[in-house]
Amino acid sequence: MFLTKISLQRKIKTKWFLAANILLALIIVCGINIDTIITTFGGDFNKQRDVYIVDKTNVSFESLKTGINESSKALNTSTHKSSFKIQESDKSEKELKKLVDEDNALVLIADFNENKELSVKVISKDYLSTVDSQLITNTINQTKTSIALATSGISSEKLEQIYKSAEIEYEYTKDDVKAGEEGTEMIMQTVFPVVILPFFMLTLFLVQMIGAEVNDEKTTRGMEIIISNVSPKTHFFSKVLAGNLFVLIQGTLLFLFSIIGLVVRNLIGGNSIVGGVGSEVTSTIKDILNSNIGADLVYIIPLTLILMLITFIAYSLLAGILASMTTNIEDFQQLQTPIVIISLVGYYLAMLANVFGGSIFIKVVGFIPFISAILAPSLLVLGEFGIIEMLIAIVIAFITVLLLIKYGLKIYKVGILNYSSKDLWKKMFKALKD
Amino acid sequence: MLKVDKVTKYYGDFCAVDNLSFEVKEGEIFGLLGVNGAGKTTTFRMIMGLLEPSSGNVTLNGKKIDYDVTDEIGFLTEERSLLTKLTVKEQALFYGALKGMSDEAILKKLDELLERFEVSEYKDKKIKELSKGNQQKIQFIMAIINDPKLLILDEPFSGLDPFNVELFKNEIISMSKRGSMIIFSSHRMEHVELFCKKIAIMLRGKPVLSGYLSDIKREYRKKNIIVKGDIKKKELESIKGVYEVIEKPEEFEVKINSLSDAENVFKEVSKHKNILKFSVEEPSLNEIFVAKVGEEYEK
Repeated sequence: MFLTKISLQRKIKTKWFLAANILLALIIVCGINIDTIITTFGGDFNKQRDVYIVDKTNVSFESLKTGINESSKALNTSTHKSSFKIQESDKSEKELKKLVDEDNALVLIADFNENKELSVKVISKDYLSTVDSQLITNTINQTKTSIALATSGISSEKLEQIYKSAEIEYEYTKDDVKAGEEGTEMIMQTVFPVVILPFFMLTLFLVQMIGAEVNDEKTTRGMEIIISNVSPKTHFFSKVLAGNLFVLIQGTLLFLFSIIGLVVRNLIGGNSIVGGVGSEVTSTIKDILNSNIGADLVYIIPLTLILMLITFIAYSLLAGILASMTTNIEDFQQLQTPIVIISLVGYYLAMLANVFGGSIFIKVVGFIPFISAILAPSLLVLGEFGIIEMLIAIVIAFITVLLLIKYGLKIYKVGILNYSSKDLWKKMFKALKD
Repeated sequence: MLKVDKVTKYYGDFCAVDNLSFEVKEGEIFGLLGVNGAGKTTTFRMIMGLLEPSSGNVTLNGKKIDYDVTDEIGFLTEERSLLTKLTVKEQALFYGALKGMSDEAILKKLDELLERFEVSEYKDKKIKELSKGNQQKIQFIMAIINDPKLLILDEPFSGLDPFNVELFKNEIISMSKRGSMIIFSSHRMEHVELFCKKIAIMLRGKPVLSGYLSDIKREYRKKNIIVKGDIKKKELESIKGVYEVIEKPEEFEVKINSLSDAENVFKEVSKHKNILKFSVEEPSLNEIFVAKVGEEYEK
């Protein structure tokens, strides 16, 4: 136990650990409250754009105002606030153009054409953005339809009936696909990058920590003193344990920093038109709770955590074995590259999982140890994996850990006291046979 | 008592140590000598239990060396076996804990040793910030922090100035007097001669000479005669039984094949006037080492 304690202390009781975590805390808290930070420093991003409507039809203003405001609020999901300040105007076109030039205002002049149909002239200083252009166009078209219907002698009851949304009922024939869970894709796109990224980051921390320590002890020959007092097995497991405790501590700290960020956000009432990580989190949590996936989290979270924990152990065993074979830190850095690539493959496949729904290749890869920790939970959320498949992935990862212990320990025992790269692989294969 | 009994170690087909035997009793200092690659480090590793002998046994007080007895052993490796990113105090707490010592006992002993080796001010310094000589002192302190019954020193004087060699020498002798068994390897024969009662000279894994140093010197037939006076080098070289004459400041070192040749030399030298010194001496360990290793190399 004291070896684990010392290993952990060597990593945690350092100025760099403190400095790195202060920096991480600042980045996370600031990231969550980035909108408030941006607005604190000022700028015109929060300013509503003036829209002047000259209604020569006498019936269009209310419809245009309501349409633009509602569409704009719907687009600003985080704040539900319109980007436009709309007012009716009776100023001349010349005066309005002056406002357009000076204040970047938008002018809509509504009139009837010769066919008594709504015709709107839109005056702006520059090209409209795609979103604004779509919003204005749709609103004008809706207004045109409303006026046409209103002037065609249709009763108000009938008109209301026409405008009422149609009833749509979704039914899916696939067993594990349920109506109301259509938001899953959105969750995959928003939640998983957030959940997976810390796992990916912690995996790198873990591999680097164990590798660098074993390599340091080996290259300084301190290993000879250590191994002459404790068995290689004890040494190996103490490193694995210390590494995993470290990532658990670091993971908990990252979680705490996020909580602090959200508390700070709540305290300062960060809620602006710009949005930010915080608003994304808030809306995502709402989305999760609104979707049926919330109930499934009861088994998704524990299974994911178990798989991730086993995978952390597998990564730490692999890092220890590889580090024991190297004779200098440069060699270990090179050996580390495939580990990073394996994690990256898992990360990208997890991101692609919802794009290539039903892909057999992705499902098969989801069982592969090391990659499965990222991919299998993604497939579980998407409904591509059931609990059984997830349990199989866990069992495979566990068997991998056992194999790494059985065969890796043989390599480790020989590797840690080997200082020559000559016939390295021959020595390691011989160690495996012994 | 440490007993190395007919120990052989193979790496594949290569024999690193071949049938090596020696004993070190309590209070004895044993010198293990040899050129690079002779098998000294492999022998130390087998004693420390880091390597399993291909055949033969290593026992400490009759028991096989395993993790139950390593708390009683101190080991100083030839290379710096210090974790250079740690401070001296952290390193001591680490290595002391490996020896089963409590933090309190480690720190008490550390203070005592740091003071004795005159490096107290480095207690909280990182090892990588220390000079080579001071790192060697710290390494030595780490090796003896547990007051070992068996102390293995692989090239302990590497990087030390004469003043510090003296400090180490005194500590080694003091430990020997307290009953510790000490095994010692060095390329510096004068250091070995200073401490060791018993030695073994290894070449290509084989012991080519072993036993008590005094016996080895006595049994070594070739002797040296120191001559000081009015006599020329050529005259000494012409004497029967003399195979080499080395001119030194104000004296000659005359090398003879056996003690019986000393009489011839004395007869010839006494013919000259003003002979101030005539002394028959044992050869140095260095001479014996060079001669023995040279002989074996030629085989």
